[in-house]
Amino acid sequence: MSEKIIEFNNVSFVYDIDDEEDQAQSVPALFGIDLEINKGEFVAVLGHNGSGKSTLAKLCNAIYEPTSGSVTVKGIQATDEDKADEIRRIVGMVFQNPDNQIVATIVEDDVAFGPENLGVEPKEIRRRVDEALKAVNMYDLRHREPYKLSGGQKQRVAIAGVIAMQTECIVLDEPTAMLDPMGRAEVMQTVKRLNKELGITVVLVTHFMDEAVQADRVVVMDSGKIVMQGTPREIFSQAEALRSYGLDVPQSTDLCHLLGIQKSVLTVDECVDEIAALLGGAQ
Amino acid sequence: MIREITIGQYYPGKSWLHKLDPRMKLILTLAVIVVIFICKNFFSLGVIALTAVLAAAVSKVPAKMILKSLKPIVIILVFTAVLNIFYTAGGDVYFEWWKIQITEKGVNTAIFTMVRIVSLVVISSLLTYTTTPTMLTDGLERILSPLKVFKIKVHTLAMMMTLALRFIPTLIEEIDRIMNAQKARGADLETGSIIQRAKALIPIFIPLMVSSFRRAYELAFAMTCRCYTGGDGRTRMKQMKLALRDFAALAAVVVITGGIIVLNHFFEAVL
Amino acid sequence: MTHAIEIKNLTHYYSKGTVQQVAAIDNVSLTIEKGELVGIIGHTGSGKSTLISHFNGLLKPDSGQVLVDGVDIHKDKETLRNTRFKVGLCFQYPEYQLFEETVFKDIAFGPKNMKLSDNEVKERVMKAAAFAGVKGEHLNKSPFDLSGGEKRRAAIAGVLAMEPQIVIFDEPAAGLDPKGRKDLVELIANYRRQTGSTVIIVSHSMEDIASMADRVIVMNNASVAMQGTVDEVYSRGDELRSMGLNVPEITEIFSRLRARGIDVPANIYTVADGVEAIKNLTSGRCSE
Repeated sequence: MSEKIIEFNNVSFVYDIDDEEDQAQSVPALFGIDLEINKGEFVAVLGHNGSGKSTLAKLCNAIYEPTSGSVTVKGIQATDEDKADEIRRIVGMVFQNPDNQIVATIVEDDVAFGPENLGVEPKEIRRRVDEALKAVNMYDLRHREPYKLSGGQKQRVAIAGVIAMQTECIVLDEPTAMLDPMGRAEVMQTVKRLNKELGITVVLVTHFMDEAVQADRVVVMDSGKIVMQGTPREIFSQAEALRSYGLDVPQSTDLCHLLGIQKSVLTVDECVDEIAALLGGAQ
Repeated sequence: MIREITIGQYYPGKSWLHKLDPRMKLILTLAVIVVIFICKNFFSLGVIALTAVLAAAVSKVPAKMILKSLKPIVIILVFTAVLNIFYTAGGDVYFEWWKIQITEKGVNTAIFTMVRIVSLVVISSLLTYTTTPTMLTDGLERILSPLKVFKIKVHTLAMMMTLALRFIPTLIEEIDRIMNAQKARGADLETGSIIQRAKALIPIFIPLMVSSFRRAYELAFAMTCRCYTGGDGRTRMKQMKLALRDFAALAAVVVITGGIIVLNHFFEAVL
Repeated sequence: MTHAIEIKNLTHYYSKGTVQQVAAIDNVSLTIEKGELVGIIGHTGSGKSTLISHFNGLLKPDSGQVLVDGVDIHKDKETLRNTRFKVGLCFQYPEYQLFEETVFKDIAFGPKNMKLSDNEVKERVMKAAAFAGVKGEHLNKSPFDLSGGEKRRAAIAGVLAMEPQIVIFDEPAAGLDPKGRKDLVELIANYRRQTGSTVIIVSHSMEDIASMADRVIVMNNASVAMQGTVDEVYSRGDELRSMGLNVPEITEIFSRLRARGIDVPANIYTVADGVEAIKNLTSGRCSE
């Protein structure tokens, strides 16, 4: 049985905010979440804006504490304040805005920020930084200033910053939402490679179908609850359900579904094969 | 759109001056500036001026750039010269017309003060030409870190400086974007009285403030996720080690200072 | 018949006069006709964002001319100022420009700068709010109390309230989820239908452009690489790919089917069209 990195047990979360009249308001965001992330998995958390997926992400490394229920990271309770740092050494996080994660004036100094905070010995930091930059293909740009980088490059630097901390798991909260197609491809390639080659557990929060399709498991959220869970094939074969949750399916899947093709299709290649067969059969 | 935004005047290079430890550079620059003010006559000042010229040559920073750093102070130089030439009296009189007198002392003082100011500016500029703002901040943090004993949050201040340096170009781009968006809706930032133009900045200022707060909030999350808890227990990847050249520079400055004191003693003061 | 916008030999440099001078736009000429919806596509850095900043005079050409309704917009200060109101430009992530105390006041910013009477301003605000789908109850709220999607609608209303003859959207669906995208595409299509305005959309989404545009202009390395109808441009898949662009997934599917020798139409850009095309083929064959 696979080791559980993150476990949510009946987790609910309520935001306490002040409304326009400065009255304290409770805004519930998550209801009764049960979720397991196993070592080495690539899990996509899919949902429309407002479904609660970003809140879920922030509960994974003790940024937020559950209002009720428990979140454990490798057995450590997320509510244990003394252990917060330990949790963050296991689960790292990359956020949506590429700029608002980079603190240093040059790339390699930013990647070193995490290990420096952990009190790692200088020579070892240097080694980790170089390795991390190479893993994300940013080694050549290690002396560059962040404002001269593209969005995709900045996100890769952020990912390198997490790798340098040698976390077992990375949670990415809509990392490609603000990127152009090239940046999105760079980030997705990097994330997949890290999962497949370095064995890093990945939790990708997204609303892009073409990204969720690449995961091992897809968790669909709506209105603060998990409404569907399964492999990409299982999930994307339910087009109407997904649409009712404000999501969509890849065009390949949609086309084959509407043509009545029973086999579940996820990629362009599969789609072309199925349609060719369909047309071949009709002759 | 990536623009060339330079903070400070860093001129990249691999000269001896560039490679000096930033801490040593900061201390030596301060020392030399103090020595400039100790100089009392043309001989001692001459030594300093020569030092400045030599340092500029060693730095391999183009003469054009050095001269550029003097541009802002041209007015001060002219002002000082005029003040001294016409209002400082003493010694031989070179020129007289009605109430205006140009005397030996006036001219000497004018030249002395100008050379002093120029040396000052050249030496300080060399510091910023050969040291990046990041290195300066780091160097300053390390020099001041003993002050922790007095509960002064040296690390926090240094962190603030670093973040400021990191975000200035980003903020400049953001201001540009916001300005364009508001101009596209007819905002007029150019015409009108001072008050009108100040009011016209509100549609720029407010979005910038809001976005900056959000930025700070998100940045704090990101830093927490990377286990940042302040300065305690942090190590640094880049270690600063004093090398032979740093001690050589120190020795040079000590010798120069000694020479200046001697020259001051043996020759008549100008001021 | 004057063009809505005419660009003549426009060149714009970055870092002009320095060693790093590079053309952001290199001798570009094009026209936009009244009432059409034009999509501008191109890789990041191809010059498309710089180009649209010339359309409303935010940027001044280093050489060449920009004519709106036949008039050179840089003729004099007044013409330039009026161009801001004739050519509305909605930037990427427009919600970041909101600043007023209430949503109403923010939408009114444009019309107020046009020196319109209070009544006219109010009328325009209400109209624009309706087009952009800004809910009535939001008008008196602070824009900062709205959700991301609602903020974007308010910001778009702010541009539409100027009732510009030409509206330009730079990546209008950036950052939106699938439903948000759909709503936005509908918003623009609806606006155009009801007002007959000329619309220009800069986008990375080939699907969105395919579903909305009459004509497509492809920018590549500071010049116009191709232009034409959606059919004309999207059929040149290999060229688009060489420029770092991609055709919609559905178009790719049909292109590969044709590569296998199957006789399917070339101009399929939406799933609906694709379904129809295949059904025609299968039913056609059955009836033989």
